[in-house]
Amino acid sequence: MITIYKNKDDIPNDIEYVELNDIFFNQKAVIKLDDRAKEIIEKVDGSKLVSKYKIESKFNGVTLDIDCLSTGCKTILNVLYFPDKVFCMKECGDNALEVIYNLENGQVYSNYAMIPFDMHTVKVYSDLDSRIIDDYEELKEWWEDEM
Amino acid sequence: MKCEPKVMKHFSTVHTSFAIDFTFTNNITILTGLSAVGKTAAYSFIRECMAVNPKIVCLNYLDYQKNVKEILMQIKDKLIVIDNADILLDDETRKYISLDGNNQYLIIGRNPKNLFTTKDNLFELVSKTTDEVTEFRIQPYF
Repeated sequence: MITIYKNKDDIPNDIEYVELNDIFFNQKAVIKLDDRAKEIIEKVDGSKLVSKYKIESKFNGVTLDIDCLSTGCKTILNVLYFPDKVFCMKECGDNALEVIYNLENGQVYSNYAMIPFDMHTVKVYSDLDSRIIDDYEELKEWWEDEM
Repeated sequence: MKCEPKVMKHFSTVHTSFAIDFTFTNNITILTGLSAVGKTAAYSFIRECMAVNPKIVCLNYLDYQKNVKEILMQIKDKLIVIDNADILLDDETRKYISLDGNNQYLIIGRNPKNLFTTKDNLFELVSKTTDEVTEFRIQPYF
């Protein structure tokens, strides 16, 4: 299950926080892609991973550099391949959030509620305390509590 | 917030097999929606027009190190297009934008906080491909 932070100060000092998902993906995550990425790219972006660094556009079938993936898709892949870091998820649409919430592992941050309609169990972390939440309303309430 | 567009009511451009045809009904248009519908692609096509259209200014994550509010305060009579707005705009900048009577905004993001917006400001991108040309338009989100 993923871990969610709502306050940057709660992220442990030894864990790197990444806000610019596009740049992190283009520079670091891209070299780690494997078959797991194929499925996610097809599901979220509707594009095909045609080679290590190329995708086929869903709009016109043109082959594009993989840097043309959506920021939401890049964020998912960052979280998937770097579970030891915390990634900002503010630029994820609901379709990307659904995938992130279903990941077996990974850490994300947003200071306001970002919850997909189809949410799964998550671990939330605030004020040096963590707990497990599996209910949409309870998670929303946690996010909206004063920090 | 309902406020007539101050700079342009319509924007269109073409980039190879892509066409943009946006009609603005408000001075602040927030372009939101799912990931991967083409928002950033549309931004890149509009950005290309900066070279030939002096009415357009574009900002995105590449401007992350800059003081965006300071930049906006020096601009007048422009359509300011901001991609990656959810990480680029802090609360102060959002408040400034909401009260800026000199410029028009197209903001690509999902967080309307401090922009004093209503459903009138929220739009989504729709695309349609005909004869190999993909046309992007905006339509009310609700």
